[in-house]
Amino acid sequence: MKFPVLKGTTYALIQANDILLHQGSTQTSERKLNPESEYFSELPKHFRSFEQAVAYPPNQVFVGNIQPKILDTIPRPWYENASKEATRQGKHGEIMPQDEFIGLMKAVDVFDLVLLEESFAQRISATLKAHPVVGAWPFLDKLSRIPATPESLDEQVKEGAEPLYHEGKLVGCVKKAHAFDEALSAHVMFENLASKASAALSMALLFAKTGLDPTLVDYIIECSEEACGDMNQRGGGNIAKAIGEVCGCINATGSDTRSFCAAPAHALVQAAALVKSGVYKNVVVVAGGSSAKLGMNAKDHVKKGMPVLEDMIGAFAAHIGEDDGTSPIIRTDIVGHHAIGSGASPQNVTQAIVGDPLDRAGLGIADIDTFSVEMQNPEITEPAGAGDVPKANYKMLAALGVMRKEFERGELNAVVDRIAMPGFAPTQGHIPSGVPFLAHAADLMASGDLNRVMIIGKGSLFLGRLTNLFDGVSFILEKNNGAPEPEETTQKVKKTRIGITLLGSEHGEAEILKGAEIASNANADIEVIVIGPAIKTNLTHIEAADEKTSHAQMDAMLKSGALDAAVTMHYNFPIGVSTVGRAITPGRGTSMYVANTTGTSDTQRTAALIKNTIHGIAVAKACGNPNPAVGVLNIDGARALERALQSLQAAGYDINLTQSAREGATMRGNDLLQGTPDVMVMDSLTGNVIMKTLSAFTTGGSYESIGDGYGPGVGQGYDRIINILSRASGAPVVAGAIAYAAACAKGQLLQKVNAEFAAARKAGLDALLTVEPSATAQASQAAEKITAPKEKIVTEEIAGIEILELEDAVEALWKKDIYATSGMGCTGPIILVAPEDLDAAQTCLKEAGYL
Amino acid sequence: MDLENQARIKELCEKYGNTELVILLGGAEAEASGLAAETVSSGDPTYAGPLAGVSLGLLAYHIVEVKDEIDPAVYEDQIAMMEMVLDVDAIIQEVATYRG
Repeated sequence: MKFPVLKGTTYALIQANDILLHQGSTQTSERKLNPESEYFSELPKHFRSFEQAVAYPPNQVFVGNIQPKILDTIPRPWYENASKEATRQGKHGEIMPQDEFIGLMKAVDVFDLVLLEESFAQRISATLKAHPVVGAWPFLDKLSRIPATPESLDEQVKEGAEPLYHEGKLVGCVKKAHAFDEALSAHVMFENLASKASAALSMALLFAKTGLDPTLVDYIIECSEEACGDMNQRGGGNIAKAIGEVCGCINATGSDTRSFCAAPAHALVQAAALVKSGVYKNVVVVAGGSSAKLGMNAKDHVKKGMPVLEDMIGAFAAHIGEDDGTSPIIRTDIVGHHAIGSGASPQNVTQAIVGDPLDRAGLGIADIDTFSVEMQNPEITEPAGAGDVPKANYKMLAALGVMRKEFERGELNAVVDRIAMPGFAPTQGHIPSGVPFLAHAADLMASGDLNRVMIIGKGSLFLGRLTNLFDGVSFILEKNNGAPEPEETTQKVKKTRIGITLLGSEHGEAEILKGAEIASNANADIEVIVIGPAIKTNLTHIEAADEKTSHAQMDAMLKSGALDAAVTMHYNFPIGVSTVGRAITPGRGTSMYVANTTGTSDTQRTAALIKNTIHGIAVAKACGNPNPAVGVLNIDGARALERALQSLQAAGYDINLTQSAREGATMRGNDLLQGTPDVMVMDSLTGNVIMKTLSAFTTGGSYESIGDGYGPGVGQGYDRIINILSRASGAPVVAGAIAYAAACAKGQLLQKVNAEFAAARKAGLDALLTVEPSATAQASQAAEKITAPKEKIVTEEIAGIEILELEDAVEALWKKDIYATSGMGCTGPIILVAPEDLDAAQTCLKEAGYL
Repeated sequence: MDLENQARIKELCEKYGNTELVILLGGAEAEASGLAAETVSSGDPTYAGPLAGVSLGLLAYHIVEVKDEIDPAVYEDQIAMMEMVLDVDAIIQEVATYRG
């Protein structure tokens, strides 16, 4: 049987003394009940430095620099036995100081709720931009937004904003997100932003450490213990998508899973199920940490004269994917759970979560090498009277073995010694629950020191006061013993399905059909499906009476996956999408990608040319050329484009800029005829003329006989492959276009495009695209285009506008100097405006007839 | 001891009297079990709950002390496993201290 695998797990820790003092729930409760408490003068004396937190052995275990079992060899108290070679960077993650984390909270805040004092923001912005993992986030630019002064921060905090302190100094605050909605209060927003920021850090670490391309993630399951929403939907959710947005998972959706501390185990089982069923290929499970839980037991730590060890926010991210023959497998056939009717005694709970799945699999406690339970660090819990949590769990598991008559009672301690690991995780609820051992388990399986571990998550549902029930889930992680089984041999090789619409050609439907049949006969791995009016053919035929219904049918089939790609003519692409044609060069008879031939990549010329280049490279790569030579045709704007591409190249974007066959970098007419570069970059009007010329110069123009057509529409995030023909394209070009579309589909063009943009973005693409147009260009643009007023945070929805008029309606508002954006709401298209503009916007839209 | 449980015990004791009521404990270790026993006999030592300064004089036993009074099948099903895990001797010794 094929099982899903755990392809990687990463962890983040953030040391946050000031957040502990000001936002930890033990401290906020004490401040409410007893504001003058002596505790507040004592507490800061027990804070650790960042260096001490890094060198704390359990933290080094958590980020992967020390194996858990090594902790047993380090004498307690661990806080007096610092790790000598401790580093902030870990094999499985990172420990971040509080000031950088405050910067991350600002970076991930989309609604300008986090304000930072100007000099602090400048300092942290510079630090974060040099960070090896988050340094490339475009969101870091937010740090310079709305700089605050110390006086304005004092004022905000007086009005109820949550203060952000660092080393005792007020450096920022988190404002409330609504005048009186409790679900959007400053306190709630603070906790949610802290959770989002720490989760995003752990996800970014996952991509950096495993090499997983964020654009390949299909689904994200967030499993923290926070709730996001407003007063009408307090736990509305999807923190998952908010985190994925920060990390560039543009092709993913997601959802949140909750079950107190048991949620990560639930989420991992769900992720494994989604991969096993084939619904998704790459699922990421992620959870940020809890600011409220900081210093939960700090009173006891202070009383016992020890450092306040609960100063760490924890987070993790894990990637579940298809069997690769090496990563640990998740045994989806041995999953345990505590059922509603299982009973509440510790014995019932342990039997349900651990005993029952082992029984079903015919296994015993003895068959499991170790168990990952609630891995709380005992040095934190023991002084508070909660004992050694993992040890108590291991004793229960051994006792279960005695009850099951696997061992004698006298062997109980020996069994505990065999299966137990010391606890090392921060007491952040869901964070210590089973998941801290995942990355260590993968390491130990790779080195041959571990075969099978049971991961257990348990949750105290009664804390929510809706039920007295308890919860728990378990699953087994096993060493992967080799290559995945081959697919069943009876299964036929999957053909690439290409649709083609028949209507619209100047040469009639028969000419298009002839091309389709040529393609079908010449390519055994392509299934051609024709869309159009009734016609005699052996090809699969989908009925459509006119061009409009043909396009609708084609779009629906692409969306459902019934087609892998399509070929058509006279099709409108959205702005941002342009086509990359493929011509045969007359001088050498080779193929050359013409980027681009129709469509608009960008309304600004240089930006459009840069995007055309990336589109061309992505298509060439999808079609099997791993390192295409790129040339810029000598047109208006060629110099600016060359400069931009050289800047991307210098910043690490791997681009193969080639030289003219004559001299210099810029491509001439000769290069066009000889096919000097693999990808020739130009604007779309020029490209269209050149494509036409190279396709029809032997026929006088009325019949295009050579080449593969105007190519696929390409754009960042565009979700389908549609290749374009002209109304003059003849049967040979139709056949070429079908093969071209199939090559794009097989070469995963959509992923290639996103990966190419991600690579370019790392090298500073966004800055190059946002270069202000020249004054003359601005003037000419102003004449024909309405520009948006100053950007605002928009939260109010206006629904009821016809989708086709949506963009016009937005421009109508802009004309009245009302900032607005279009969007898609739950029930249809919407316009979003700022609360203060809502009335004026509605009036304006009514007057203009849009509402 | 949980503040709500303190209130419930106080209420039951007022209703039935302290000779008609026995407290059964299920704590996982000696110190916590002893604290509960002390709370229902001489009052809440943390002075946080309704039994602060209230001496009900109730007798408290840990569940492992009354094993002989329980149907062996039920005990086996509900308690036997935890009995192996707990430090039974220390718990009994601690809880007994508060029965005078």
